[in-house]
Amino acid sequence: MDDKKQQKSISYAKWGYIFILPFFICFFIFSFIPLLDTIRYSFYEYYRSGLKEVGPNFVGLGNYIALLKSDLLKYAGNTFILWMIGFVPQIVIALILAAWFTDARLKIHGEQFFKVVIYLPNLIMASAFAMLFFTMFSNAGPVNSILQSLGWIKAPIDFMGSVGGTRSLVGLMNFLMWFGNTSIMLMAAIMGISPELFEAASLDGCNHTQIFFKITLPLIRPILSYTLITSLIGGLQMFDVPQILTNGQGSPDRTSYTLIMFLNSHLKASNYGMAGALSVYLFIVSGILCFIVYRMMNDDGEKKPKRNKKEAVK
Amino acid sequence: MAEVSLKGIKKIYDNKVTAVHDVNLEIKDKEFIVLVGPSGCGKSTTLRMVAGLEEISGGELYIGGKLMNGIAPKDRDIAMVFQNYALYPHMSVYDNMAFALTMQKVPKEQIDKKVREVAEILDIAQYLERKPKALSGGQRQRVAIGRAMVRDPKVFLMDEPLSNLDAKLRNQMRAEIIKLRSRINTTFMYVTHDQTEAMTLADRIVIMKDGFVNQIGTPQELFNKPVNLFVAGFIGMPVMNFFEGCRLLLDGDKYYAEIRGVRFELDAFQQKTLKSNGQKPCDIVCGIRPQHITVGEGDLTATVEVNELMGSEYNIHARSGDDEVVMVIPTVGLATDVSMGSRINFTAHSDLIQLFDKESGNNLIWYDAGSAANNAPVCKDYPF
Amino acid sequence: MNNKKPSNARSIIAHVTLIILSFMCLFFFYILLINSTRSHAELQKGFSALPSSHFMENFRAVANDGTFPMLRGIVNSLIVSGCCAAICTYFSALTAYGLYAYRFKLKNAAFTFIMMILVMPTQVTAMGFLRLITKMGMYDTLWPLIIPSIASPAVFYFMYSYLQSSLPLALVEAARIDGSGEFHTFNRIVLPIMKPAIAVQAIFTFVGSWNNYFVPALVLQSKDKMTVPILIATLRGADYMNFDMGKIYMMITVAIVPIIVVYLFLSKFIIAGVTLGGVKE
Repeated sequence: MDDKKQQKSISYAKWGYIFILPFFICFFIFSFIPLLDTIRYSFYEYYRSGLKEVGPNFVGLGNYIALLKSDLLKYAGNTFILWMIGFVPQIVIALILAAWFTDARLKIHGEQFFKVVIYLPNLIMASAFAMLFFTMFSNAGPVNSILQSLGWIKAPIDFMGSVGGTRSLVGLMNFLMWFGNTSIMLMAAIMGISPELFEAASLDGCNHTQIFFKITLPLIRPILSYTLITSLIGGLQMFDVPQILTNGQGSPDRTSYTLIMFLNSHLKASNYGMAGALSVYLFIVSGILCFIVYRMMNDDGEKKPKRNKKEAVK
Repeated sequence: MAEVSLKGIKKIYDNKVTAVHDVNLEIKDKEFIVLVGPSGCGKSTTLRMVAGLEEISGGELYIGGKLMNGIAPKDRDIAMVFQNYALYPHMSVYDNMAFALTMQKVPKEQIDKKVREVAEILDIAQYLERKPKALSGGQRQRVAIGRAMVRDPKVFLMDEPLSNLDAKLRNQMRAEIIKLRSRINTTFMYVTHDQTEAMTLADRIVIMKDGFVNQIGTPQELFNKPVNLFVAGFIGMPVMNFFEGCRLLLDGDKYYAEIRGVRFELDAFQQKTLKSNGQKPCDIVCGIRPQHITVGEGDLTATVEVNELMGSEYNIHARSGDDEVVMVIPTVGLATDVSMGSRINFTAHSDLIQLFDKESGNNLIWYDAGSAANNAPVCKDYPF
Repeated sequence: MNNKKPSNARSIIAHVTLIILSFMCLFFFYILLINSTRSHAELQKGFSALPSSHFMENFRAVANDGTFPMLRGIVNSLIVSGCCAAICTYFSALTAYGLYAYRFKLKNAAFTFIMMILVMPTQVTAMGFLRLITKMGMYDTLWPLIIPSIASPAVFYFMYSYLQSSLPLALVEAARIDGSGEFHTFNRIVLPIMKPAIAVQAIFTFVGSWNNYFVPALVLQSKDKMTVPILIATLRGADYMNFDMGKIYMMITVAIVPIIVVYLFLSKFIIAGVTLGGVKE
């Protein structure tokens, strides 16, 4: 490229590097170094007990094995169950709503109002939302008080005392927080389909249900699987809601204790070795999920809606 | 107010793909040069190298006698009009036009005076406060030109400025550019793929293909003296007729072109040139422009397939053996029956028959191997 | 046309479902608002659907509480979220522009890399992050909540998509010919064009940062540095049964309502933003 006769260059390449530099410096310092540090200490026995600091002593895969022997798998199971309770109704309702909103013949009145309302919980501070649920579903809280005054129940229901109750509350909150967002995303995906296709299908004799299952669903499959994966990654990171609702205990009996709550308790206890090993496990799982997302975004270059940050971050 | 000189300019991408090969071009002060060619021929890349938007991979560029290779675009004293206008959408027309002068820290009053003066010339004074979005395509085009004009550049670069306009507006703007040119009187480099624009605007045309310059010349030269099949086919409407399977014969000391067994004795100039080149008999392709065909005489025959009356002339599509021949025949004084299906005979003056070497595609008369402008490689394929 | 009836039935089902869902979304906030107007004694008596008159009283109780400095928390949250929104959008736009407008050797590698870390959870680096900021002396300050937002792959990706759809490179070249320097072009030409994308992402980043709990919970220690979510968590951890319930509802209200109010004003814009740039042809 460079001609020796030229002293100066009018190549703009260096500006490209300059402009992306802050991002990479910041990523390097605040993500990459911590990641390496995390991985390194995952091989060490290193914790604080009282004022005494133990380690770092190299223990190889000791932490990893200790984690597996502890309740790690149970917590992974909890996380998965809590995610499922929220995700299944979320995706079903979102699909139905998206289909309704985009159905031109089904005139939804106040469409904008409904959109605003169903998206609202997504912006709510998860911790405050959980705190609100905690007070409302407590034994003396308004929900029990309403049910009692309606005469539906005699004694207050101890929502937070039962496994099913706590898990359902977490699921309900996750559902409320995310179904509006997913509906709007799917709506956009369906609106990206040429209306002529729907017209052709109805001329071919499909009814609404058939159109939905034979035309709409197959065509929005890419974004559906994308929703699934990003929601799964979000579920893996579930923390705020169960943490606040159960005050970090995962009660009753750690049945709503999630992986990140586990990580958080190790971090709070300054058990760097265990926290490191747990992070590496999480890193591997999310790495696999990331890889799937990456493949999906690059594979078919056809017109495919891509999601914005919100779902990916939460 | 400056001459531009390109000496062996090259563009190589990523050390691999050569987009522009060795362009040599001397543009005189106040000359209007049009770079023309099919898409991907390197004409835009050449222009962008002159602008300083692309780095020059090899060769030297001089503007007004100064070497410009490593100079930033803003210091080259050029202005450019882009195909999509490239108006800053968030600025008013006034701010768009004033932007370059603001960058140069020209005093406010002076900017104001200049912008209003140019707006007056271009008849956009009433839109100065509007945003580009609120303007029609033609008005945006004027603003883009105006933005370039306020700078009084040494060289005015235009990259397909009219190709986004509809046909009617394009004709109108083309006329305006001609008017404009007589007013601002500077050096122009203009890129287009449209031969009509090239023919009507240019002092000289540079015709490019695959990164090579094929010919540089006035519109008349390109029309009458195309150096190869590509140039011959690219310039002229309707496209020149090419007759395959022809031969150049040497009988005694006279050259003949043989088209479908019919001999044409070449005229004196052609004879002289071929003789001085020491041309041997060979297979050739003969090219005859539709406008140069005479109907009703000669020994070539054809059957009329389509006959389009264009007012003062007929466009006749006729079949002659394997070739489709297009003829443009004046309606006045036409004695022959040219209705569909009728059989006609036709001929052309031998000095209007272009002779192309079948092997190289080069014109046996006009191709000049020594010219820097004719450095294109063997070009056998037709331009269409 | 011939099946008017089933269509009507469908319409009724759809509207009823939507109303139920909307009720579920709004019900809790309604209770929250009602209860924040009632005194502790009233709340003990059971639920009432009508508001009472203790709103200001509760609010004053929250404002003057030294154990839970809610107003201080809001100020901290505003500082963190505001700074995050500003630098995150600016640097994401800068990065996106750098990768979009320039040709350079590592361009594809850099882009691929960012896409790879796009969905990496922040939690996996939390341990090293905590140690790092402790070593850097930033433990228990607001800095570690703000600075890392310079590298936000998801916002970058949004900006990049937006640039692809709305910034012709000829514009940048025109600016170059007009004599504008590269940084000047970015600040004066590119940023104004990206305004819609920046506004949307600023809102989302602000809200995300406002609601963020995990990282501040690790980093912040002293009361006067705490952000709103941390205060809520501390509230949950305290012996809550002895509290004035009206005050608790008021605290939650104070944490949630500002965002809701802003949302109601910008709802149209925000909802359009959920899919803007996200869905592209």
